[in-house]
Amino acid sequence: MVDYDAVVIGAGNGGLTAGLTLARAGVKTLMLERHNIPGGCATSFVRGRFEFEVALHQLSGMGTESFPGPLRSMLNDLNVIKDLEFVQMENLYRAVIPGQMDITLKADRGQAIQALKAKFPQETSGIDGLFDLVWAFCNQWVHVAIMRDPEASPEKYPIYFQYALKDTQTVLNTFLKNPLLQSAVSIYWSYMGMPPSRLPFGDFAIIFWAYTEFKPYHIKGGSQALSSSLLNAYMEAGGEVRFNCGVRKILVENNRTKGVVTDQGDEISTQRIVSNAGSYSTYVDLIDREHVPEERWRELGARTIGTSAVTVFLGMDAEPEDLGIRETTNFITETTDNDLAFATFKTLDSPKAMLFTCYDVDDPDFSPKGACQGAIVALAYSEPWLSIPTTRYYETKYRYAQDMLNTLYKVFPDCKNHIEEMDVATPLTHMRYLGHPGGAIYGFEQSAKDSELFLDSASPIEGLYHAGAFTGMGGFQPTLMSGQSAARKVIRALQK
Amino acid sequence: MKNKVKKQISGFSEIEKEIEILRKHALDRSVEKGQVSQIIHRLHPRKLNLAVSEIHPETGSAKTFRLVSQDHYLPPFQAGQYINLFLDVNGILTSRPYSISSSPCQTAYYDITVRRIKNGFFSNYLLDEIQPGDVFQSTSPAGYFHHNPLFHGKDLVFIAGGSGITPFMSMVREATDKKLDQQIHLIYGSQQDDDIIFQKELSERESSHANLTVTHVITEPSSSFSGYKGFITAELIQTVLAGTNPADKMFYLCGPEAMYGFVLSQLEMLGIPKRRIRVEIFGPPEDITAHPGWPETIQKEDWFQIRLSQGRTFEAKAGETLMNSLERNGITLETSCRSGVCSLCRTKLVSGKVFHPAGVQIRKSDRRYGYIHPCTAYPLEDLELMI
Repeated sequence: MVDYDAVVIGAGNGGLTAGLTLARAGVKTLMLERHNIPGGCATSFVRGRFEFEVALHQLSGMGTESFPGPLRSMLNDLNVIKDLEFVQMENLYRAVIPGQMDITLKADRGQAIQALKAKFPQETSGIDGLFDLVWAFCNQWVHVAIMRDPEASPEKYPIYFQYALKDTQTVLNTFLKNPLLQSAVSIYWSYMGMPPSRLPFGDFAIIFWAYTEFKPYHIKGGSQALSSSLLNAYMEAGGEVRFNCGVRKILVENNRTKGVVTDQGDEISTQRIVSNAGSYSTYVDLIDREHVPEERWRELGARTIGTSAVTVFLGMDAEPEDLGIRETTNFITETTDNDLAFATFKTLDSPKAMLFTCYDVDDPDFSPKGACQGAIVALAYSEPWLSIPTTRYYETKYRYAQDMLNTLYKVFPDCKNHIEEMDVATPLTHMRYLGHPGGAIYGFEQSAKDSELFLDSASPIEGLYHAGAFTGMGGFQPTLMSGQSAARKVIRALQK
Repeated sequence: MKNKVKKQISGFSEIEKEIEILRKHALDRSVEKGQVSQIIHRLHPRKLNLAVSEIHPETGSAKTFRLVSQDHYLPPFQAGQYINLFLDVNGILTSRPYSISSSPCQTAYYDITVRRIKNGFFSNYLLDEIQPGDVFQSTSPAGYFHHNPLFHGKDLVFIAGGSGITPFMSMVREATDKKLDQQIHLIYGSQQDDDIIFQKELSERESSHANLTVTHVITEPSSSFSGYKGFITAELIQTVLAGTNPADKMFYLCGPEAMYGFVLSQLEMLGIPKRRIRVEIFGPPEDITAHPGWPETIQKEDWFQIRLSQGRTFEAKAGETLMNSLERNGITLETSCRSGVCSLCRTKLVSGKVFHPAGVQIRKSDRRYGYIHPCTAYPLEDLELMI
């Protein structure tokens, strides 16, 4: 007799969709979350009259009701879509290099091409060529990877097989000459945390194509609305949850899971565990070393932990238009050399690439009337932050954030005079709230070797399943979908 | 995707070889067990085990308690932050937040300064019962009532009332010890001129630091008192800040509940925009039934039944916060601010209705799905809580 059919560790995106999928299938499930709120990254916090969005910038995979994307279909299946309101964003982004370039791309292939050609008239054929390649690649990728054509081969899908693992920079160089143009097209690399020289072209093509075809979205109420609706549906389906209740240990016997021990010392028996704690933390921190096969230690040891981030949250007492903010998504870079920009993420120097999102542009209800909120994000690895003496942590954090603000003020000078609330999250903040090594926000690095093609997320321990960013790609859509997929494996195993 | 298919991707086998080499010489991650929590613990330990090392009388009504760590380590804090002390008071395990009054330059100890108040359940227990050597737990330092160099600027006006001086004392100590590039005006309201906490030290620091001015305002002055009398009015603020533009400054308020409404209205009269005002949290109101929005039909002494999902039931008074009622019944929730803002005590209300005073910071989706902050929630009906 076991206490629960399944235990879900962590109420992040992956844990929530795993729990909901299990509960809806009638599996007696317990979810354990060490914090007091569901969501993991997908959460919010309140300061003064602002509720700050922590992580979501552009939700991918939604599509429209008549042309639903994979995420919309999943949320439909899980019956939570009725509880949520989505706002479609008009633009992919505005890309700015102060003094050098300023361009806005609409979330529409034709209009994006037009905008690029208007700014870079000498390179019209290269622009067409690159877009053609991105779309042709993604068409073939759908057949090979999504529909799993049993006859998939380099002969049948030559573009997919040739380009999937090529580095993005090489492909950009083939089509585009002007480094400013390359920057304008490739800036989504920062959503993957890998510069074009190290980002597989396949991953770049898919993200650009998917945002254009399925459109970027914002959720009314922010990502917390999504997390809370998933949890609510989970509880309505009979799922149980405990907050402020972390897991100290996963019990394993004869290579199969037996149960978990909570931080409070309660032992809960179960044969199936979906861990949303990330494969690193699950094996390193939760399972005794001798129960983890040697092969898994080698696998973990060969992986590189991905990037974290520094975020400056701004609450301002003015409407976006009063501050000159016309786009939701603004990438501000200070160089066309993306390798250089990436190198700044491993230092405490001023980051040379960042994102500024102002949620109120597309959703005027997001902040109180007459106010708006923005988030400036720079990717950052944890290492330099770990070497700061604790007594100097706060001053370092403020100094770093001041550099980011100075860059922002170059593009939006009026923001400076309207700040009402401000807070800063560093890699250590992400480490504190996510529990991931290095405060990683996207799981392992998104380079070719650590990409989904080379990750084996199946556990060598029977009864253990993984959900979340460490199973493949980071970001909302992949992590939400990873939970559903882990739960389906549990359900299949239980039916046997 | 099947391995057979993957292997045909151009470049795949080279990366496989690279991974093979990395696996052969893999780092042994198992030695990193516990590392993440150790790193976080240095900045934000979940709980501190503290001991009282000294108790120092400040005035007839106030004492400073010097707290040292039993674990030989205290995390750094920002001047103005507080710790939440947990204590068994006459058989009830409860807690209260106290601003740290000592300087953040010093992390060998934290000082908290406590003043006697009428019916002060916790404060008076501290003052009367706690002795050097006594031990207890606290949260690690938290709170947002501190100088933020990113937008607060360098021209600061601290408005304190009574024991509300404590966070400012930490800020003043830091600014003067480090000779920070800040101009500080402290306007400090006390009831009586012979009961001013930190009076001597403030005057010493004022005379040795040109960037600090201290103005005392006394509501019930003795006949010999020659300074400002009465309340902290717009006129008084303007006089103290004569010759400067108040709108360029950042104003900070900390004091008793009654002071906030009054001083905020005075600042509004001076045309200070909201974004230039910082207000410290101040716990649940003394009389919730006097709060705007409280239903007339419900009295302080009305009792309601509270049912917990774990099966227990008990009675709770409408005029008392749910957190206090829970603690009286032996249930201690996670909490830090006890003022409705930190959200650590966030709890699902399964059924029934509660009253939250304005200013309690609840997320939009929590309102929608019925989550409350018991530290500032009052029962208006029989309730069921998911605890």
